[in-house]
Amino acid sequence: MGVQPWVASMVLGKSGILRIDVLPILGSGLVDSRATTLMKALPEPLGSRITAMRTSLGYSIKGEYSEGEAKQLATDLFSDPIIELYSIDGTIGAGHLPNGEDSDLTIQVGYKPGVTDNRAMAAEDGLRTIFPEKYSRVASTISYHFWFGKDNVELDELVDCLHNPILEEASVLDGRDRLTKLIPFPNVKQQEYTKPKSIDLNVDDETLMKISSEGLLALNLVEMRAIQSHYRDQDTQRIRSQYNLPTKTPTDVELECLAQTWSEHCSHKIFSAKINHSDAEEETRYTIDSLFKTHIVAPTKDISKKVDWLLSVFHDNSGVIAWTDDWSLCMKAETHNSPSALDPFGGAMTGIVGVNRDILGTGLGARPIANTDVFCFGPPDFSGHLPKGLFHPSRIFSGVHSGVRSGGNESGIPTVNGAIVFDERYIGKPLVYCGTVGLMPRNLPDGRESHVKTPKPGDLIYMVGGRVGSDGIHGATFSSLELTEESPSSAVQIGDPITQKKMLDMILEARDTGLIQVITDNGAGGLSSSVGEMAELTGGATIELGKVPLKQLGLDSWEVLVSESQERMTVGIRPEDSDEFERLASLHEVEATAIGSFTDSGFFQINHNGDCVGLIPIEFLHDGCPQLELESEWIPPRNSEVELPEPTLEELSWTLQKLLSRPNVASKEWWVRSYDHEVIAQTVVKPFVGLQHDAPGDAAVIAPLPGNTTGAVISNGIVPRYSDIDAYAMTAAAVDEAVRNAVCVGVDLSMIAGLDNFCWPDPIESEKTPDGKQKLAQLVRSNQALDDVCRAYMLPCISGKDSMKNDAVIDGQKISVPPTLLFSLIGRHKDVRKAITSDFKESGDIIFLLGLTKQEIGASELAFMLRDAGSGGIGTSVPRIDPERNIALYRALTGAMEDGLVRSAHDCSDGGLAVSLAESCFGFDGGAEIDLSELFSEDDELDEWGALFGESLGRIVVSVDPNLADEFQKKMGGHPIFKLGKTTSDGHITAYLNSRKILECEVSTLKSSWKGTLDGGM
Amino acid sequence: MGGCEVIRPKVAVLSGFGINCETETITAFEMAGADGERTHVNRFVNGEIRLSEYDILAIPGGFSFGDHLGSGRLLGNRLRFSLREEVRAFVASRKPVIGICNGFQVLVKMGLLPGDEQISMVQTASLAANDCGRYEDRWVTVEFEDDSPCIWTRGLRRLRVPVRHGEGKFVTSDENLLDSWAQSGQLVARYVDPGTPYPSITDETLPYPISPNQSWRNVAGICDPTGLIFGLMPHPEAYHSTWLSPDWTRGKASDHGPSPTISIFRNAVEFSLQNRELT
Repeated sequence: MGVQPWVASMVLGKSGILRIDVLPILGSGLVDSRATTLMKALPEPLGSRITAMRTSLGYSIKGEYSEGEAKQLATDLFSDPIIELYSIDGTIGAGHLPNGEDSDLTIQVGYKPGVTDNRAMAAEDGLRTIFPEKYSRVASTISYHFWFGKDNVELDELVDCLHNPILEEASVLDGRDRLTKLIPFPNVKQQEYTKPKSIDLNVDDETLMKISSEGLLALNLVEMRAIQSHYRDQDTQRIRSQYNLPTKTPTDVELECLAQTWSEHCSHKIFSAKINHSDAEEETRYTIDSLFKTHIVAPTKDISKKVDWLLSVFHDNSGVIAWTDDWSLCMKAETHNSPSALDPFGGAMTGIVGVNRDILGTGLGARPIANTDVFCFGPPDFSGHLPKGLFHPSRIFSGVHSGVRSGGNESGIPTVNGAIVFDERYIGKPLVYCGTVGLMPRNLPDGRESHVKTPKPGDLIYMVGGRVGSDGIHGATFSSLELTEESPSSAVQIGDPITQKKMLDMILEARDTGLIQVITDNGAGGLSSSVGEMAELTGGATIELGKVPLKQLGLDSWEVLVSESQERMTVGIRPEDSDEFERLASLHEVEATAIGSFTDSGFFQINHNGDCVGLIPIEFLHDGCPQLELESEWIPPRNSEVELPEPTLEELSWTLQKLLSRPNVASKEWWVRSYDHEVIAQTVVKPFVGLQHDAPGDAAVIAPLPGNTTGAVISNGIVPRYSDIDAYAMTAAAVDEAVRNAVCVGVDLSMIAGLDNFCWPDPIESEKTPDGKQKLAQLVRSNQALDDVCRAYMLPCISGKDSMKNDAVIDGQKISVPPTLLFSLIGRHKDVRKAITSDFKESGDIIFLLGLTKQEIGASELAFMLRDAGSGGIGTSVPRIDPERNIALYRALTGAMEDGLVRSAHDCSDGGLAVSLAESCFGFDGGAEIDLSELFSEDDELDEWGALFGESLGRIVVSVDPNLADEFQKKMGGHPIFKLGKTTSDGHITAYLNSRKILECEVSTLKSSWKGTLDGGM
Repeated sequence: MGGCEVIRPKVAVLSGFGINCETETITAFEMAGADGERTHVNRFVNGEIRLSEYDILAIPGGFSFGDHLGSGRLLGNRLRFSLREEVRAFVASRKPVIGICNGFQVLVKMGLLPGDEQISMVQTASLAANDCGRYEDRWVTVEFEDDSPCIWTRGLRRLRVPVRHGEGKFVTSDENLLDSWAQSGQLVARYVDPGTPYPSITDETLPYPISPNQSWRNVAGICDPTGLIFGLMPHPEAYHSTWLSPDWTRGKASDHGPSPTISIFRNAVEFSLQNRELT
């Protein structure tokens, strides 16, 4: 058939929709790389049954355009005349390709109504440039055109691979009438506004809980009763009558507002709980009044008496430190686990742009300058039983990766550091940690300190950025519940990095002109949280929901209040500055609307079109949530010992190669390369280092002030495996890993700050969670470790987050994540020109191992590898920490680095000394020859397995110029330091024990094993 | 120069709509002896400032409008439809223009590159998706044509620079055009194998990742017939200081300072100062 000759009536068809489709030209050096990439990603045998595939992008346009105008649009806006063909009648989109080539079958995919469609919004903007006077609406589509061979193709499987039914529509187009089956324009169903309902809480407990669960409020009985009694209070009733509110019952607006503010997500109820803890091992019992206050705030408070650089901790959107005399740094990390399980792309993207807004909402506004991402997924090659309704881990991996790539790259923020951890228990809920570092001037031109918010009653409340829609309703409460088949799709969104980037440019300009008095982001809980939180600073706020710009009309009052629609900040502006603020907004093409003002009334008052629909005392909103009281009981788990094979030369050598290819150890370069890690031109130590730029960097070093060599170090530590033996050890190891990594690049240990980010399985004992006491005990032990190690390392936590319901109940099966702590670190670097990287530099350099090696292989990567192969358990001797010894060693080492005595430094973590040594070799074109005999003097139980692959903490492999080796040893005097051998030029790693060769591997073979596993390009 | 008063050319560095490399572009120009100013596109459109007040125009990298509808297309249209005459007058007055990465894509989509003597602003080439099908951040080696009118690359032989793009494959619909651009020295920057001795520019497509995108004739950057307008996919501004290279820790600690890529910006600054003296 080919492209139909253009007929006026056909263009708009009966639907009145103009359909422009754009197809890449093939041949003479031109390819459809979108199609080739996708073909590679299709699972077998599906992929091999497809003989050819092409793709085209489509635009459904509602608007008044003549034939000539439609053609102009196709050439000037939608297609690239050099490399693309187009049709304006839907033919290409349906698979009727030019030159009479029809596809065997075409699958067209488009967004469902109301889902953020960035390509369509860009198209609408482009239409306005060319036809400023016309109003158009656009929806984007993509068509996949297939040609098949003889074998049958599982059509359902193919359609599943190409779209996510939560957010997208797919239509299978084949045969002659395929044009009639094109996806219709996704019209948002007009919702009918319903007046706020009052909800009767004068009911029995069972009904109270029904109200909570059916309304997705995630409130427990004690909390529901607290709300019940608030509305029974005489004073409350008297005041409510003055505002024309139902006197004895809350409105749905109020109940929703309370549920958001009191959600586990927003108010960290488990960390604030009173915990009755018992320890069967130590035979002790005691009560902890808030883990947060006891083990996180208290150590930071104590450290703050000894350092002068803690500017703002815990209470703002991120923690702030005084990095230099003129500039401060802030950092925040968050998780976006539940949304990423439902839609990996959108979930991860909103995760990254969301945490960027936390930085923008810190103090009077900070500029995000670096992202770090840490992911925990099921194994990419998982072949076990996957409960129905879950995505395969490899699809979660690639979806999350695309989301972070899009969110980070399009925002112009470099992704400088990260990690990926694999474990089967993450197939239910993946963990997607997104962290961002921000930079702000210590003082604004008007003299105010930028980390202090300065709102006053009377300041106007502006909502800035995106509009409010029905997307993103109940994200906060949803993430406070387990994941089930019924999890609401409205909690999943797609981010819009460009709207956010425009807003960011505008906000920072407003900050520098002194316009901003207070700012916070609209994340979980939407306006109810952002305005509710800031209202605490002045003692009240009044907002008018009727002024809030909406994506679609008809939203109920409570929906406008709690919707978590993305890309929005809430900003306080003095009335006299409002013209200037609005002028800036219009310059940047950002929507900014005054929706109310701050007051000192003592109430958060919510009006809608003049009527008061909610009135909540600020004090009740923020302090009315009753403290939980929980039980925890620590009984050490019993694990079987690791069954170690005979330590022969062959066995040990093969083990090193095998360990390097394990997904947890293997190179993630193929994935990381597609993150921009050097925009803003500040990344001094990049994710990959060495001669070929493919050896692993330990921590990121950035120099954010152009031409200035003062730097910042960003690192992460995460070792969830150790929780299987003891969450205390897991936490100590995570903190030590973050610090060790930072030490390897030469951090200034007098200024290091941390972020604790807990992801736990539900630790509250219940019918669904019979082992809740044990999980809570793990949380207690984790906090105790955090307290002990942070105090010893002089490492205050400045911000943190917890996600406490990382369980999935799907298909009748419960899958809980292992207790996981991500510890992120930000520190100062005195002079980035002295930064050290992990790659060996020259052959003949002396190799030292710093730190003590013990027979600690419990829960190591080696132990899991042997267990997975079918013998033994994960062991019991998990690495234990000696924080005082470690920090003393680290201080001596960073001193030696400042003196220029160190050529390379690389930490020992997953896979132990042997893996660390191999990775240092990957960065240069040589090898290493070492002797391990000296290590054995420190631990009688040590054997070859422990020496090579054990994961004892506090250890770093260092190489030193032979001429400086004596001076280095002198400098490190009094610390555990072992001269292992030297770097060589022969391309082999060889290890001896008492003159017996115990390991010999070719570096190039090891490197291909290490690079091969996760090479998505293969 | 040599006078006591140092004149610094004024550089308009565009910002807004997802451009995100304006900070380091300003830094690179300042290190080269110019004054860079962050100028939002709309400030030109609404008449608050005029392009003619500036000596050099830079369109930095980034993701203008999210790269939707083809990278550079929407920003190119904004400039083409709203500022057409201002841009033409700027080029006609012999003032240098640079487009880096997304900025290069903008210049190509609006027809200023490879361009023509009449400044007719008709698109004749494009930057297609990389053959590897994805965005990548990696370092490449670029060599410069000796015999080229390009004022930005005078005296340069080779530079190491990062590329960070998903659509950087230089193509055209007409092989004859390609030959004529080659003859006039417009295909000025090419990917080369760093393992080969200088000069080693070749028209045969080099393997990935030496050529990160499989650009025709290994083109990394081009200039217009006058040599004043220069666009390139790699990011010379991202390597303004020596400690930003990916393997600097393997070198000597003592030789730190501005990196060799600053020469590109210095060439334009010197040209601008001479142009000023002449007019």
